[in-house]
Amino acid sequence: MAEVLAEGYNVFDTSKSPSGTVKYLASPADVIALIQSGKLKEHILLVRGGTTTFLAPALSMGAIGVITMSGAPESHLGILSREFQTPCVMTAHLTSSESRYVVGNTPEAHFEEIAKTLDGRKVRLDCTDHEIGRVLADD
Amino acid sequence: MTTTEGKRATYKQRYEPDDDGLRFQELTYTGNFVGMDPVTDGIKGDKMMRARAKSRVLEKVSKEDVLRDEFTIDELNDLNNYLAWNIWDVLVMRATEGVSGMIPRQEYEILAFMHEFYRWPEILRMTTDEVGGAQGVMDIGATARREIGTKINSVHDWCIGAVGFGMGRCGLLALEAIGPDDYIEESNIILKFMQRVLWGKRQDGYILNSQDRYRCRIHEPELLSQITSQLEPLDEGGPAHAKFTQFNAAAELLSFLDHYDCRLGLGDTGPYELPDGQLLILRDLFVNEEIFHWSDVCDDAGLPHCYTLAFTIDPEKMGLAEIRVNDISTTFTRPKNYIEAITSGAVFAREKWNTPMGEVYPITVAELDKHLEKVQTATLKLYSKTSRMCRRDLIWNGQYVYYIDMILPHLRLAGTYEKACRDYDLWEIDQRVANYYYEITKRGFAQETVPSKIFSGSGYLPFSENADRRRSKYRWL
Repeated sequence: MAEVLAEGYNVFDTSKSPSGTVKYLASPADVIALIQSGKLKEHILLVRGGTTTFLAPALSMGAIGVITMSGAPESHLGILSREFQTPCVMTAHLTSSESRYVVGNTPEAHFEEIAKTLDGRKVRLDCTDHEIGRVLADD
Repeated sequence: MTTTEGKRATYKQRYEPDDDGLRFQELTYTGNFVGMDPVTDGIKGDKMMRARAKSRVLEKVSKEDVLRDEFTIDELNDLNNYLAWNIWDVLVMRATEGVSGMIPRQEYEILAFMHEFYRWPEILRMTTDEVGGAQGVMDIGATARREIGTKINSVHDWCIGAVGFGMGRCGLLALEAIGPDDYIEESNIILKFMQRVLWGKRQDGYILNSQDRYRCRIHEPELLSQITSQLEPLDEGGPAHAKFTQFNAAAELLSFLDHYDCRLGLGDTGPYELPDGQLLILRDLFVNEEIFHWSDVCDDAGLPHCYTLAFTIDPEKMGLAEIRVNDISTTFTRPKNYIEAITSGAVFAREKWNTPMGEVYPITVAELDKHLEKVQTATLKLYSKTSRMCRRDLIWNGQYVYYIDMILPHLRLAGTYEKACRDYDLWEIDQRVANYYYEITKRGFAQETVPSKIFSGSGYLPFSENADRRRSKYRWL
């Protein structure tokens, strides 16, 4: 059994289990640069919010998997991930940390810790459970 | 299908009178009912809220009830409580999504809520007068029964009351700009307009989908028959299925982007059970709204005002346990993944908002490639354009999407949109709201106070029992 690095809401049940290097996207410029690099499909995308506009071109151009640090399947990014059938784990928290996301009251350190831990790691998404999506180490 | 093999569809049990539905979330709701049993989501929550009402306004109401000039205080409070629960029911989980990174949505939302509460009443009263009174407003709602590609839909109609009255009043109460018994007459105008449009659309006595176990089956049989005649079979795993579902996703994404990451760009109705047991969903995706100046990229790409997708879901294939078409026009199912259970589909295009139904044209699945290309081109251009906008522009643009678009379809059909622009300064920002721009980022108002008051239901203070229904706001002390 691969190490579970992080867990969160599973947006939809799927047997798809995409694998790639986590790419943390902090700004729209990062999103545009990734698309222009031609390497979109090599990455599992890590974003802070659960809104959909931020990732719009990445979803449209065929992102293979998404991890968010906030939001739920009912959030707009959750809805669009389901429609695109892009496996998505939302409000992911590190299994090695006690820190959890709280609406409107989450310190920056929470997001920074997740980004620092996952960015650049080779991972696989497991979205077979009805409720929990898992980020597995795939090094 | 891997996770639902062997499961039988049980969704029809949800329509049995004693059934309480499934729980889609673990959270519960309290609102103004402190000390009482917490209220759940879904069908059970609807039953609990209706059981706590003092009036009959949440039950099936008659045409005479809807034509009546105004609500009583009990009715206003029942609607206030029910809408607060309904908002929680559909949005509490969505509201966990945090910052956008692209569009400051929480900021533009709260400004729009308050702007609507201040400005809509006189515009909705004028519109009611212009269409000859209450019946004219109900007739506007009824048009949705005969059309696709219309923004007279669940989310827009719901927003009149839930957002303009409910969230607007809640936000101003939280800001301490108003008290609970201010603007009662104006609240009545907004809620009556909402009730009349929704009643005219549904015509079953209810106004909200949540009252009907999350069903929005409004279309006339003749229209449904025309639509289903165009359905093409889609085999899961086949190229046509992939093409259709990809187009659905891409067009839906653009509809979100064109509407600043909000739900006003899409509208689902259904589920309609077909003779073969399949469930039909109709989905309007508004990919080009001409009143938004940033939608010029959608014009350039040659996109129509709206694509309407019709598709059938096989409930047995996915072991469907519950399906909700909620009051913000979005379909959710258990199990969650309905895409693999889509068995047929059709696409239609409406070029302009007022293109006659006879000129709405079908697009075959084989023809979708060129439309997908247009959608993707517009998405990339709109993203690039939006990413260059400053924060202030993003906030005010988003504010306009809410404040204008939520009542735009009703004003358009009433023929009062131009009058509202010309004589009522619809596109101007009220000075009070302009000033709030500088207040909402202080003390975490937009990102902490608003979510806690609006999405938890704790901020929807009731009107006093003996309040005067004629009351506006007379004192600024």
